[in-house]
Amino acid sequence: MTEQVDPRKVMDFLKPKMGARFKTWLNICAHCGLCANTCHYYNTSNKDPKMIPSYKVRFLKDILKKKGNVDGEYLKRVYDTVYHECNMCRRCTMYCPFGIDIAMMIALLRALLFSQGMAPEGLLKPIENYKESGNQMAVTKEDWVDTIEWCEEEMAEEMLGLKIPIDKKGAKIMYTVNAREPMFYPQDIMEVAKIFHLAGEDWTVPSEKGWDDTNLAMFCGDGKTARMIVENTFKRADELEVRQIAITE
Amino acid sequence: MDFFSFVEGPLLWIAFLTFIIGSLLKAALFLSLSIKKDKIIFKHFRWKYVLATFARWLLPINKDVAKNPVFTISGYVFHICLLAVPIFFSGHISLWEESRFEWTWASMPDGLADWMTLIFLAICLFFLLRRIISADIRLISTFSDYFLLVIIALPFLTGYFLTHSTLDNIAFFSENMQLIHMLSAELMLILIPFTKFSHFILFFFSRGATGIEFGRRDYSM
Repeated sequence: MTEQVDPRKVMDFLKPKMGARFKTWLNICAHCGLCANTCHYYNTSNKDPKMIPSYKVRFLKDILKKKGNVDGEYLKRVYDTVYHECNMCRRCTMYCPFGIDIAMMIALLRALLFSQGMAPEGLLKPIENYKESGNQMAVTKEDWVDTIEWCEEEMAEEMLGLKIPIDKKGAKIMYTVNAREPMFYPQDIMEVAKIFHLAGEDWTVPSEKGWDDTNLAMFCGDGKTARMIVENTFKRADELEVRQIAITE
Repeated sequence: MDFFSFVEGPLLWIAFLTFIIGSLLKAALFLSLSIKKDKIIFKHFRWKYVLATFARWLLPINKDVAKNPVFTISGYVFHICLLAVPIFFSGHISLWEESRFEWTWASMPDGLADWMTLIFLAICLFFLLRRIISADIRLISTFSDYFLLVIIALPFLTGYFLTHSTLDNIAFFSENMQLIHMLSAELMLILIPFTKFSHFILFFFSRGATGIEFGRRDYSM
């Protein structure tokens, strides 16, 4: 049995998003095939024609033509293509004479799937975490501050006078990390602290939400959460009156 | 008014006006919709990105030339012939001169027009075979891709037949080739705003928008 999809829900999501660029791209693509051998999925799948970027976005035109009348089975096929056959690197666009941005259309399809409740587990769980704790790993403020202080103590012997300033107002740089670092790789934070220390930089890390610079919500088109994540970081930067935000490697 | 007079008079007007007004409307639609829904383009609009990206893609100084040289150069030659022959063929210019506009401009030698027509048709054939033979291009080709290739080739093919009386031993063609030639060209003009042919004008908007989007990030554009 295939799941029912409400065509109105599909169109309600898609219609307001169909800007001039999307409409134009769907109309003018000449199906010339110049994008084919620019795609690393195509080049590493024995040149499988199904991997041609232009072919992968056929769904968008098709769903609009069908006025959203598709079923769950269909959306699963879209899912397989937009998550397993494209990582939105935009290389094809660099070779398209018209500059058709395939990645933007893939992103739109991912957002459409999200609006219908379809997204990879690996992205949905972090999204819950972002909403609750501001970071993808659900690290509490206490744990985060503890980890930073622990990093500082660990390095005190190795490098005299090294500090990891927390919430230092007016610092030049606010440093943000991937939430996996305090969880699994605190040594990465230490390495960076060494560099900042030796370079004599005026830097700080925020204790409140906004220190995680990953944005996994963006990858499945959850614009609302993606926006919240970025806003957290900018809010902290404003509060601390820093001039620059640095992000981890 | 007989059919011939209709095709050479009112229908020609209809074709040209559909082409011109339709294309301008397409452009206007893009602009008005993009102002509402693609604000990011206008926010970052810089002529330097737009002009740089136009130059790179209107001239053969882009990444495709090295990556797919045969197809890319064929594409350029195809477009040059497509524009040059109808505009600079002496037979066409003398018609403009006889018309109410009495316009005239420099023409190209007829021999050159012949060669460019033959090259154009050869490239059309190459494009068609490429679509049929290459598994890649066959998969992404739609009916309209084949159809429009025929539509674009017909005015050139019939123009060549007309100027060289190639098919004149067949009575129907010797009597009607001029009519067929005009009809095929008018059909092509009328289809421009409604098909992928509209890229002749939308190219500038799409290319410009992506030029801005990529240029501001310092990507290759």
